[in-house]
Amino acid sequence: MEEPQALDADLVSQARAGDGDARNELVRRYRTPAFRFALQLTGHREDALDVTQDSMLRFLDTLDLFDGDRPIQPWLFRIVRNKAYDLGRRQKVRRAESLEDLLERGMPPPVQAMPHPVERLELNELRREVWKALNMLNETQREILVLREYQDLSYGEISEVLGVPTGTVMSRLHRARHALRDLLSGEESN
Amino acid sequence: MSRHYDTGFDEALLSGYLDGELTQADRQRVRLHLEDDAAARELVDEMRRIREAARSTDLPAPLDEEWDESPRTAGSRWFRRSGWILVVGWAVVLVGLATWGLFAGPDSWWQKLLAGALVGGPVLLFLSVLTDRMQVMKHDRYRRVEK
Repeated sequence: MEEPQALDADLVSQARAGDGDARNELVRRYRTPAFRFALQLTGHREDALDVTQDSMLRFLDTLDLFDGDRPIQPWLFRIVRNKAYDLGRRQKVRRAESLEDLLERGMPPPVQAMPHPVERLELNELRREVWKALNMLNETQREILVLREYQDLSYGEISEVLGVPTGTVMSRLHRARHALRDLLSGEESN
Repeated sequence: MSRHYDTGFDEALLSGYLDGELTQADRQRVRLHLEDDAAARELVDEMRRIREAARSTDLPAPLDEEWDESPRTAGSRWFRRSGWILVVGWAVVLVGLATWGLFAGPDSWWQKLLAGALVGGPVLLFLSVLTDRMQVMKHDRYRRVEK
């Protein structure tokens, strides 16, 4: 069986050579993770779609600068992050949607098995609270939490996306987790 | 805020421990610290709970049609945006001219009223249906289910 990473590298070199199918395949493969990351940064579905489209175009335009032997996701996420911040600067006011509104649209997520309805309700409530609190944090804290908690990137990959040493990733992430926890405990006590 | 310990223990190591990103020596250091510090244990448990909630939040992705409908290149994107600006501008000018022509014309006030009602009625009905459709589209979870 072929390694997915090797296939990505092949696609990148074919796309560089002007192969339209390879470009389309790269877009199809990475647009959903890019969209989810954009959505987690912007908190708004239409903004995330715009950011994703811009990012995919930018990604294809800069393929010549990309080291094809490295994983695509950190490189692409770096582009998404820059595009999301460009949009944020233009908009000035952040317009994040609630988790309920976001879940109402698009492809429904798969139903996850949960042992007990009460547990499911508690987890759903916590998800909503975490999403709300996340959108109240500053950009630096939000992005690092999104990369680790939602995107499950390793410290090495996060350091590549953010352009900071891994030691900084750990301390910054810990401060962000503290801030998120403080917001959540504030909500619970209200 | 992160806590500072007299022992020199760096609290950020707790995050590294939770994420499985520490060296074996640091892992051992954190384990020993957790044995003695109930507050640190509670913090790690809470951070783990939050992480599980975040990780299991499966945000919906756009449908294939939404991607297919979106422009593929910077050029087509520019054309689409420009096209929409022209279409909207054209509609605004046309409606403005028609309204001005109707009310500035030589017809008597009741003829203007009748003509206005003739055009305004269907427009209002159309807007009513459009508003309802948009509302349904926004809130209908099952709109993509094949009937």
